[in-house]
Amino acid sequence: MTEFSRRDFLKLSGVTMGAVMLNQFLPPPVAEAARRAGQIAADGDGYLTTMCEMCVWRCGVRAKVSKGRVVKLEGNPDHPHSLGKLCARGQSGIMTTYDPDRVLYPLIRVGQRGEGKFRRASWEEALDLVAGKMQEIKDKYGPEAMVFSSTHNLSQVQFENLLSGYGSPNYGTQRSLCFNSMVTAFLLTYGIEEPARNYDNVKYILLVGRNLTEAISTSETTALMDAVARGAKLVYLDPRFTKTAAKATEWIPIRPGTDSAFLLAMIHVIVTERIGDCDFVQQHVLGCEDLPTAMAEYTPEWAETKTGVPADTIRRIAREFAAAKRFALAHPGWRTSNFINSFQTERAIATLNAIVGNVFEPNGCLIASSPEAGGVPLGKPPQPPYPRTAAQRLDGVPWKYPLVPLKLGVFQEMRDAILTGQPYQARGWFIARQNPVQSLPDRARTLEAMGKLDFIVAIDVILNDTAWFADVVLPEASYLERYDPLAVVGGKIFIRQPVIEPQGEGRSALWIYKQLGQRLGLGDYFQYADEEDYLRQQLAPLGLDLEQLKQKGYVEPPPKADGGETKDYVFNTPTGKIEVYSDTLAKAGFSGWPTWEEPPAPAPGEFYLLTGKVAQHTQFATQNNQYLHKVQDDPRLWMNVDKAKGMGLSDGDLVEVASSVGKVNVRLLATQAIRSDCVYMTPGFGHVSKGLNTAYGVGASSSVLHLTFTDPISGGQALSQTCVTVKKA
Amino acid sequence: MATKKRYGFVIDVSRCIDCRACLVACSVENQVGMKYTRIWVRDLGVKGDYPHLERTFVPYNCMHCDNPPCTQVCVSGATYKDADTGLVLVDQEACIGCGYCVDACPYSARYLDRERGVVDKCTGCIQRLQVNQQPACVATCVGRARMFGDLNDPNSEASLALKNADTVQRLDYELPDGTHTGPNVYFINGEVMDPAVLPREPKYTTAETAWRRLLIPAVVAGIGLSFLGQATFFTKQLLEGEKEFEE
Repeated sequence: MTEFSRRDFLKLSGVTMGAVMLNQFLPPPVAEAARRAGQIAADGDGYLTTMCEMCVWRCGVRAKVSKGRVVKLEGNPDHPHSLGKLCARGQSGIMTTYDPDRVLYPLIRVGQRGEGKFRRASWEEALDLVAGKMQEIKDKYGPEAMVFSSTHNLSQVQFENLLSGYGSPNYGTQRSLCFNSMVTAFLLTYGIEEPARNYDNVKYILLVGRNLTEAISTSETTALMDAVARGAKLVYLDPRFTKTAAKATEWIPIRPGTDSAFLLAMIHVIVTERIGDCDFVQQHVLGCEDLPTAMAEYTPEWAETKTGVPADTIRRIAREFAAAKRFALAHPGWRTSNFINSFQTERAIATLNAIVGNVFEPNGCLIASSPEAGGVPLGKPPQPPYPRTAAQRLDGVPWKYPLVPLKLGVFQEMRDAILTGQPYQARGWFIARQNPVQSLPDRARTLEAMGKLDFIVAIDVILNDTAWFADVVLPEASYLERYDPLAVVGGKIFIRQPVIEPQGEGRSALWIYKQLGQRLGLGDYFQYADEEDYLRQQLAPLGLDLEQLKQKGYVEPPPKADGGETKDYVFNTPTGKIEVYSDTLAKAGFSGWPTWEEPPAPAPGEFYLLTGKVAQHTQFATQNNQYLHKVQDDPRLWMNVDKAKGMGLSDGDLVEVASSVGKVNVRLLATQAIRSDCVYMTPGFGHVSKGLNTAYGVGASSSVLHLTFTDPISGGQALSQTCVTVKKA
Repeated sequence: MATKKRYGFVIDVSRCIDCRACLVACSVENQVGMKYTRIWVRDLGVKGDYPHLERTFVPYNCMHCDNPPCTQVCVSGATYKDADTGLVLVDQEACIGCGYCVDACPYSARYLDRERGVVDKCTGCIQRLQVNQQPACVATCVGRARMFGDLNDPNSEASLALKNADTVQRLDYELPDGTHTGPNVYFINGEVMDPAVLPREPKYTTAETAWRRLLIPAVVAGIGLSFLGQATFFTKQLLEGEKEFEE
């Protein structure tokens, strides 16, 4: 059985004590190892195994190298996320490494912020400057005055060591702009962050805005297409006729923000008609008995008034879904930060799966059992406990957002706190592999917040928009040039290792964080001699050999002694059951049941501004990749063709799109493929950094337009809740 | 033309998601210039009346025809159908970049690389076939829409897919002399491609006719094989001059 999940995303490692070990870093001796293993011929040509980082799905990669250069990337057939394939982004990875705009040396700003004037510096000077500024802020204002943010990656654990060792509680991630609503809902309902999907026997797939053919998770997308080819029914809810809609059996152009109404009505039908798996489910689902009463008002007729979908259609889909029982799958979604009520959408998805019993069967299509059961206990370098932090988090967790997990956070709220200086003023920002200038809503506000700071340092491989405004830019080695900590996927341990020597003076995050840690007197949190030593310490408890891992790209840990899987369904919730009714939610003052929350509607003359993804780019990070630039579509504003005609607009017109916080000019795509009450913009374009020669000046940024809306339960930003006007520019 | 192997593509149109992994894989594998592509995904557009919409994506590339019109117009003999594999290939050492084959291809599946002064096209990634790898586009196809194999071998993945297909479409094209191209790309399980899109009428220019009548025999008969390189260089110069004139 193949399972699809990104569970390793959110795991935090344990903290232990140990001795100090401080040696020099050596350049990665990968080529020698590969040569010894016979993977590289005497002339230097051959294949090396590593992992992709063009998105966070992290496919396995076989990199073809020739004369010291990487010339082609293939999907690793042994890796469950790639199964021999890479998407367009993965295929383009060599251009991220060989991008002519790569930052290859440490840079120190010499002009005004945003002017893009930097001078080349030595690592010694740049690291001393960064550590000096960080120490100065700590001494003067306390460690909480330094905020840290990074988008999830394999070196995140050492990033967390740096910020927690330093003593700052202020940790921003991309998560509240992405999956807070999904993760929080499933933590509260199933006790796990993200249930895995199993397409082996699936007969009925409900995708609630999960655009799997454009927001690609390589092997999962392939599995979906296999299932559809086998004859599985695919029902797809989306206000846009996306490429997934084009492959669906049935496209439901639902009104934006009303997915939860559709799903609540499905639950209503299933529990009132008693066509779910209620007898069995009752033992394992808290609230099952009272669900018919709790869902009484959510009739399909009621849902029709909210969603615009005929009641009969909802009723039919509910019956079909229930009939498929454990072979039905309502996909939990991924970037689910759409509306304030997206948390309720996710709660309804969790409920829907539970009541048809697909989470309880061995071959069921949603795997909700505890991920720890199949976990591999990797080691970690020893380290002391973190210093205690008295200061409140700027992002309001938990004092304002009691149910948001600390590791998810509320990034947009942290930005606002930098701007307002409440509850205290932040002074410095440490940003790694992240582009908040483009990703956070309301770009003007983000830039204004950056203006409040004394010091900004960015770690990146290119001069992205945030690095453009930084005081110091530290050049990271690209993912094809460096090691990162190991990753466990499907019970196997995979390695990211350099397939070429770093260009210029790019260095791994493991090296950069350690260097800064040492300068800040935090060496005890970085007890590894070099990257390989870090990996060896990870493998030590399992008695596994790094050389073997480097050669094959993965190792299988020895089977566990106890082995036997428990058939008892015990969930990591307060009651040990799936909590369709959640006392935790009720006690925090929210509805204990999945419930309907009315989203705001556009005023006359306004449109919902939808966000989404394209298969050729990852968020805000890849637009400068020349190969992806070559195959991308011209980023435009989608508007329904009839609506456009009514407004006197034609395809290709330059239009001005305006919200209450900003406006952009963009070309119009007049199409039938969208409802008439919304418009859509591909995110990720409209870069402001002139250091991005390929991407600069292409398209417009939706973050200029987005208003900041935070879900009080999950902390998720509602990225599709902004309303805009459109007129000829 | 019967060849030992008959390599061809089978495209399951129902499975293409237009992700363009194939386009990038091809460009990287074959070092295709940033302005060009050897392969395409044709978007047939959003069809139907809202909300009953359809949209089909058609991946395609050189059809590696049984009877390729491109080889017939080739001045220098650079374009040929490989007798072993059945692939239509260009010997870029011999190509003079005249571009007549580009105009003659009814599928628009070739292009003139102006930077390098040669014609380029899909080769079925012959360099990968030689080491038992699938063409780059096929190997990475996320939707499993692209398949490739020896159509002479009934057990190849391509032959089996063809055998089990619900619908099969082959864009056979009748040439002016009454013969057919006999393409070796098969489209299965999908909408019939809009004939207005592909194939197109091949362009036969008067200049090309003149070349065929006069210069091909002259090149072949009049110039010794050992001087071919020099002659290629000379004609290349000549043609580049002509191109400038045209532009």
